[in-house]
Amino acid sequence: MENILQVLFVLFLMIIGYLFGSYREKRHFKSLQQREKNTLHLSVANFGNQQALIAEVTETKLIVGSVVISIDYFKKISAILRNLVGGKVIVYESLLDRSRREAVLRMKEQAIEWQAKQVLNVRLETVAIGGRFGGRTDPGSIEVIAYGTGVK
Amino acid sequence: MSIKYIPKDITEETNVNVTRRHPLKNFIYLLTTVVVVSVVIFFALGYTASWLVTRISPENEARIGNLLYDTISETEITDDRRIYYLDELLHNMLNLGENARLPLTIHLIDTEVVNAAIMPGGHVLINTGLLQEVKSENELAFILAHELGHFQHQDPLKSLGRSLVVLSALAAVGVGTSSSSGGLSEVVSWTGEMTILHYSRTQERQADEYGLERITNHYGHGNYSLEFFNRLKEEDDEFYQVSQYFDSHPQNQERINYLSKLAVNNNWDMKGDITPLPNWINCPDMDEMQCEVE
Amino acid sequence: MILTTLETVPGKNITEHYGLVQGSTIRAKHIGKDIMAGFKNIVGGELKSYTELLQEAREEAVKRMEDQAEQKGANAVVNIRFATSSVAQGAAELFAYGTAVKVE
Repeated sequence: MENILQVLFVLFLMIIGYLFGSYREKRHFKSLQQREKNTLHLSVANFGNQQALIAEVTETKLIVGSVVISIDYFKKISAILRNLVGGKVIVYESLLDRSRREAVLRMKEQAIEWQAKQVLNVRLETVAIGGRFGGRTDPGSIEVIAYGTGVK
Repeated sequence: MSIKYIPKDITEETNVNVTRRHPLKNFIYLLTTVVVVSVVIFFALGYTASWLVTRISPENEARIGNLLYDTISETEITDDRRIYYLDELLHNMLNLGENARLPLTIHLIDTEVVNAAIMPGGHVLINTGLLQEVKSENELAFILAHELGHFQHQDPLKSLGRSLVVLSALAAVGVGTSSSSGGLSEVVSWTGEMTILHYSRTQERQADEYGLERITNHYGHGNYSLEFFNRLKEEDDEFYQVSQYFDSHPQNQERINYLSKLAVNNNWDMKGDITPLPNWINCPDMDEMQCEVE
Repeated sequence: MILTTLETVPGKNITEHYGLVQGSTIRAKHIGKDIMAGFKNIVGGELKSYTELLQEAREEAVKRMEDQAEQKGANAVVNIRFATSSVAQGAAELFAYGTAVKVE
């Protein structure tokens, strides 16, 4: 009886995770697309000052954008199963893509606010943050940091 | 000369970093693969283990049985005449010239739970709760003969071997034990419990056949021996405890039908007189006086 | 498509740049390989199956980055960086990024 309840509980969490997770993901992708269009005018590159860049740089500033996105229950269970079977962990791909684009966007939005002409030497960093279940390898969420040097 | 920045939006719909596959489809594929492979592995391991344990020498089986029996914490009733009665009844179930694979020991367990079981090494556990539920000696004898059938077919040992192998395999893989797998560990331990602790249907059926054959040999007929299951069938809802134990056994109706057909095919007589239980079957020795008054 | 970890493409001139491009993939080994790797861990040595897996993942990540650069109409990606992260137990993420440029 207790076991059946446990399984039902897991199933319930998965359905909740799937419904809300995919809805939010869709919404997030839409917002990303829109904001990427809005910030498209800002030049962002991951090369540094080895290149002859814009003339008359008067100021530089470290610009950081970061985001933490949590993994929904459905994705988590899918990934656990994938771990047994092997292959591409499809459910995490969209998650990572969203996080990276969001981090870069936040960096760009900050740069625009500071009225940067360009962001140079951009680097991206990804970290898995421990989950609620406390397991040492159980990622509850992932953090992406995008950082670069803004010039104007 | 500085490099000119040309803003370029990716207009194409395809996101190169995301594989285009519906997450539900992906999930179903994963689940089916995992389930199919585990079932195959489970059965392969199970059969290997069952085959291996049947090669254990009787001395070693006795040793294993003693170890296992020591882990049981239930209160055992000793020095009770009911033990001698049950012992005699159990040995009566053996055919002439047939020997139990190992010496059988009756353990009378003081608990309300309706249950009887046999362990590797010939330990027969009978709960006082069962003695309260049975209404005739025929019924009790059938249950004993059924358990004896399991023992003679080495079922307890096979079941033990299978659980040991499967459990160690699961532990080696880290599934079901690591906290990291979260929900999955629950699923694994649940299916594990469901499949490991019980005998297979074939084993149950063989034990039933064995039981009914011995009953007809001993009493000359099989009448009344299946009454217990008839009652269970009717009382399933009322006695949760009872149905819980017999859940692992074939459905009671199916079981009765099968055995009746078997009796017809073998020309076993299913008509005959009832053999009553001794009237002190539910009396501990020390309460003898009190019981006889009733 | 020219791929380089340098900031320039030697012998060529970068005339235009189109911003960051990135490619990533995340892969898991099947459990059989995990178990074999566990045994191998006892004696040490190269984990061939893991090397292969990461190799494949890297190729895929680069391929995806190239695809994105192509979508932007670039003919080279400069200053490529790789990053790996373990966002799930037993799975490895390979991530490649660079700046999409046009060279002449």
